[in-house]
Amino acid sequence: MAVSVYIPTPFRRATGNQDRVEVEAPDVKTLLDALERRFEGLRGLIRDEVGEVHHHVNVYVNGEEISRLQGQATALKAGDEVSIIPALAGGAAAA
Amino acid sequence: MILTETELAAIREQAEAEYPAECCGVVLVRPDAVAGGRRRLRPCRNIQDELHAKDPARFPRDVRTAYYMAHEDLIEISRQEAQGWAVHVIYHSHVDAGAYFSETDRRNALVDGQPAYPGATYLVVGVAGGRAAEARAFRWDADRREFVEVPLVAASPAAAAGPNGPETR
Repeated sequence: MAVSVYIPTPFRRATGNQDRVEVEAPDVKTLLDALERRFEGLRGLIRDEVGEVHHHVNVYVNGEEISRLQGQATALKAGDEVSIIPALAGGAAAA
Repeated sequence: MILTETELAAIREQAEAEYPAECCGVVLVRPDAVAGGRRRLRPCRNIQDELHAKDPARFPRDVRTAYYMAHEDLIEISRQEAQGWAVHVIYHSHVDAGAYFSETDRRNALVDGQPAYPGATYLVVGVAGGRAAEARAFRWDADRREFVEVPLVAASPAAAAGPNGPETR
């Protein structure tokens, strides 16, 4: 049950410059576990030490951000597309 | 070349139109044509207010002092990257606060201490009283391991036009 994972520019240094990988996983958590095992450089970039997705990283399943779904428990099926994209954010110093 | 005159004018116009909110967007280019090929200016939606309303503890600021590009924009930018486009400029505005690269900007531009988009220039437009007063550009300096200001040179559209010319979405 392969799921396609899109790796954006900021994370490609950890995937040997691969921009797309296939992973077999029944849910997002298992997929992230598998990715971190396959690409050790991703460890810590997507999730923190307790396994939560960093605030500045967004994980999407078929274009839907997982916090709007079931978080890391979001189920996956063959043909789904997962994207892991760091936020583009910033702003002036706090007033 | 960082921007065309047309792109800079469009960004300043967007910054004024969205005042007193911070605006944001990107300029995408084909990597093989940075000096004179196809370019896309993509204004993006700042969803900081939505995030602030939903989770004020995690997102204490609103659009007057922060920006967060909308999920649909991030996904579309990634799709275009997958098609061969590169993020060339990431821009946003500061509201009545000057065009500087803030600590928040710096922190959010790094992933694990490395620049998220090493080749990108960050453009900050300072909007004062509703008018785009200044624009400054910043880029990662690998030797100094810091973002440094770079000259903001805006070329004429003709100088940047490739076979299909500059475009906006």
